Amino acid sequence: MNLKLRCLMLLSIFYVFNSYAQQDYPTNRQVEQRLKQMAASGNAKLISLTKTEGGQDIWALQLGKGDMENKPAIAITGGVEGYHLLSVELALKVSEKILEEHSEILEETTFYVFPNMSPDAYAQYFSNMKYERRGNSVKVDQDRDGEISEDPYEDLNNDGWISSLRVESPMGNHVPHQSDARVLVKADETSKRDENRYMVYSEGIDNDKDKKFNEDPEEGIAFNKSLTYKFPYFQPYAGDFPVSQRESRALLDYLFERWNIFAFVTFGPANNLSTPLKYNKSEAEKRVVTSMLEKDVKLNEMISEIYKETIPQKAYNQDNQGTNGDFFQWAYFHFGRLSFSTPGWWVPEVKEEKAENAAKTDSVSEGKIKPSPETNFLAWAEKKGLNDVFLSWTEVNHPDFPNQKVEVGGLKPFVMVNPPYEMTDSIASNHTNFIIKLAEMQPKLELHNLKTEELGGGLTRITVDLFNNSSLPTHSELGEKSRWLQKLQIRFSKDKKDILVGNIIKLVDKLEAYEKQRLSWIVKGGGTATLRIGAPHTGFATMNIKL
Amino acid sequence: MNLRNIQNTIVLGILSFLLNIAPADAQEKFFRAIGTPHKPEVQVSWNRYYTYEGMVDIMEKIAKAHPDLAKMESIGKSYEGRDIYVLTISDFNTGNPNKKPAMYIDGNIHSNEIQGTEFSLYTAWYLTEMYDELDFIKQLLEDKTFYINPSINPDARNDYMNKPNTPHSPRSGMIVLDNDGDGEAGEDGFDDINKDNHITMMVRKSPTGRYIKDPRDDRKLIRVEAEEKGEYEMLGYEGIDTDDDGEVNEDGIGYYDPNRDWGWKWQPDYIQRGAYKYPFSLPENRAVMEFVMKHPNIAGAQSYHNYGGMILRGPGAEEDAETYNREDVQIYDAIAKKGEEMIPGYRYLVVYKDLYSVFGGELDWFYGGRGIYTYSNELMVSYLYFHENQGRGNQDEELKVDRYLTFGDAFVDWQEYDHPQYGKIEIGGFKKNFGRAHPGFLLEQDAHRNMAFTIYHAYHTPKLSITEVKEKNLGNGLREVTATIYNERLMPTHSSQDLKYNIERPDYVSISGSNVVAGMLVNDEDFNKVEEQEVNPEIIKVENIPGMETVKVRWIISGGRNYSIKVDSAKGGVAEWES
Repeated sequence: MNLKLRCLMLLSIFYVFNSYAQQDYPTNRQVEQRLKQMAASGNAKLISLTKTEGGQDIWALQLGKGDMENKPAIAITGGVEGYHLLSVELALKVSEKILEEHSEILEETTFYVFPNMSPDAYAQYFSNMKYERRGNSVKVDQDRDGEISEDPYEDLNNDGWISSLRVESPMGNHVPHQSDARVLVKADETSKRDENRYMVYSEGIDNDKDKKFNEDPEEGIAFNKSLTYKFPYFQPYAGDFPVSQRESRALLDYLFERWNIFAFVTFGPANNLSTPLKYNKSEAEKRVVTSMLEKDVKLNEMISEIYKETIPQKAYNQDNQGTNGDFFQWAYFHFGRLSFSTPGWWVPEVKEEKAENAAKTDSVSEGKIKPSPETNFLAWAEKKGLNDVFLSWTEVNHPDFPNQKVEVGGLKPFVMVNPPYEMTDSIASNHTNFIIKLAEMQPKLELHNLKTEELGGGLTRITVDLFNNSSLPTHSELGEKSRWLQKLQIRFSKDKKDILVGNIIKLVDKLEAYEKQRLSWIVKGGGTATLRIGAPHTGFATMNIKL
Repeated sequence: MNLRNIQNTIVLGILSFLLNIAPADAQEKFFRAIGTPHKPEVQVSWNRYYTYEGMVDIMEKIAKAHPDLAKMESIGKSYEGRDIYVLTISDFNTGNPNKKPAMYIDGNIHSNEIQGTEFSLYTAWYLTEMYDELDFIKQLLEDKTFYINPSINPDARNDYMNKPNTPHSPRSGMIVLDNDGDGEAGEDGFDDINKDNHITMMVRKSPTGRYIKDPRDDRKLIRVEAEEKGEYEMLGYEGIDTDDDGEVNEDGIGYYDPNRDWGWKWQPDYIQRGAYKYPFSLPENRAVMEFVMKHPNIAGAQSYHNYGGMILRGPGAEEDAETYNREDVQIYDAIAKKGEEMIPGYRYLVVYKDLYSVFGGELDWFYGGRGIYTYSNELMVSYLYFHENQGRGNQDEELKVDRYLTFGDAFVDWQEYDHPQYGKIEIGGFKKNFGRAHPGFLLEQDAHRNMAFTIYHAYHTPKLSITEVKEKNLGNGLREVTATIYNERLMPTHSSQDLKYNIERPDYVSISGSNVVAGMLVNDEDFNKVEEQEVNPEIIKVENIPGMETVKVRWIISGGRNYSIKVDSAKGGVAEWES
């Protein structure tokens, strides 16, 4: 047995074992392996859209059967933020579950899955300097001072994590939280200054002595801050102009050729599923539209209800409904598709039990002490028995604060947005169910009540009802305005000279949910005619008519 | 006469001796006209238009004839794979051209707006041919660089010229999109029924028509009074309903607008008609963007359009009005008002106020996205015909031009044709190369005047010098060195838009050859108001050197009698001083 073969065998044993007993979020390499396993299954095709500056593939996994590009499709995107490990896992697991447990849906619906749009940043979790990273590997002058990456993070206590730095100082603006002293919160400046006060920075050194810490680290542009909708010009991680990065261009170029996508589900920090977006009349009526349009808000509300029925977890601290330059808003506002986003998981609200510590609990429950997201997380972690979530404050020597007490510590990066890996399977099951329900709602064109009437002299009148058998319209209100959604095409194949009334091709802007439209033609002569109606994102209804 | 001229003369003398031509005996055929290269090394006729191939040919000849002044490079490929060529024009013997303050010029972004190409070429030709003849041009090319990009839409330039078109088409590049949402792209464009390479108008005799041919000039159709019976109906531009959908010419080349594709406040097509997928999603614009990003020395820019006789500045969109603040507008005004004097018939206007409110324009990105002072000129104005202000598309004036000045060259006379859907029709009207495009005899003058405007613009990019270095002994072996840097032109090294977003790096004023104890910016020398720079005091970072003003920096140094001072500015160039 040659060495190569032996290696392969060892590797394959490792993979089988590994996928069976995955303990933690997958590395980029493991993501690739799982994608390739899916691609080998028959109903999936995997392509690499491009490679990032960091040499990572941007994968597109197509799930579907037959004429995939002419069936309504849902785009599922993960890794819009590199620190959101869960989102990559969800994109993978949802795909796996669709293939293994719901393959019948592929008869009617196509899925385009982009499991990780930030693989460069994602890799930081697996490095020996772990921190919640957003930017790719392109060299960028984040603080626009003319020098590149001159103030990166430093792991001062060599524990492999970039956490926080607290400096004891009467000038500090942070104080320990009243219910959990490990957590620092912004001080209430109207109250007395008798507690210990701290200045808080990210872990590192002020290398360029500009009094800012780690403001120009070795990372580039963030995918979820660099798209065209409300692009934050010249801000850190956004860059000089929108869609400047290879991976964002490759994805958008791919999407602009996928006319069949009717909806996006994005796993990312924003959430318009627990609470739908609101309608703002004046923002919706401006030339530059910045509010979801009125009818589309109704659709968002409807889908949101379905999400809440499907996902058991109650919303808590879910107030991110989109940030400037992000992907999920781009998909609606600039691409005209229905667009839904969820983090997939969040720290649930923890109501403390009274028995444990009566004095503390009372003041919390009476609303005197407000839990912070961090203290709520720590309370949840304690209940769950997770004890490896906090890096205790340890003293270090710091060149920028020579005679002060400086400690490194704080919440472990990643833990607040990425649950323990073993929870991901049930989260993925719930979200698969939601996505299947969304797919089952897709626009559905049907032809009913065909009538052919002989009018004498070889003339026939054909009438038929076109019906959208769906609770979704064929075009969102915004999508109707977009050139990147096709109109409904009614094509009647018959020689033009034999058609006395009616068209060979007629375009219809939109059918509302459950709307029907009567179509009719008068034709001369016998034979057959074929009717084909639809657009890629609604699918096509066809009918052969005998004359 | 400089050394180069002497050399040339000697070479020519030897050559003519060898060829047995005695220069002294030859009959002089030419007499110099002021303002024009007299015996240019590159012969170009400036009274006609050039296809892409013709344009490349002229560029190659200029680069070949003036290797010390002109360099030609491809900055990328068009959609159909044509090279997009830029000429770098500068005195290559006086420093790196990419370090000198630069003026960027392009033309033809709208493919049917052709003469920007010839105006750009004229500029490159004039500068290189006049370098040896005029001190002003010589100094200009020692100080500055011109990047000249004659056509940033070469595919559709050739389509406009070589294929049937109206004066207004294609305007896009050659990417073919689905304009009517039927799932097919470009299935129903114009049809050149009379095969004359012009798309003109179709009219038809009809009892319900509302038009008659003007009895005094049958080229012209006029509307009859409400109670009168007409003779003709208008059917629009030449075309056939090729896809049987009941519409004529509804889906041809394009449609998108390359001037809605730029990355400042870009908006999608449903908000800004003509936008493509995302900023710089068109390969031609992407090539320009990448070139500009690689050349931070570009301080001024000009883009050529047609038509109407306008010198335009941004903002393009009303929503972007606050981007242009007072300091920058003053500079825009100073340069463009001079331009109005230099180009009769042209008016200085603001896009969103005076033209239309649009997002994603080239000039907006150059200014908003890069902080570069940029104008778009709408070339050709009817004022040039009879020195009257008849406005754009005045049919009576245009018919008069074709009667008295171009003698029928501009008009296709009405003639009958059979149309597969309309039956018997007449086809005729103005040719595609009339109206927007200059007639040949007006081309050179307007090219020269617009070039003169860009030269004035380029002249006022920053020019830095270290005008004074003062030394004061502080005792204990310490000396205080104060350097004054002067910007002797209108433009600052950083526009206020640049300063607002820190688009370009600060200017660096550095000292070398001595030990620096402290460094500072001097805000007020008289009262010693200074700002110390603690980190890396050898290189003082100056955020801006305003136009027509000075900036002072100071070091406290020890040792090193022979020190040198250098100012290095991305848009202001490099200046040095040595003790």
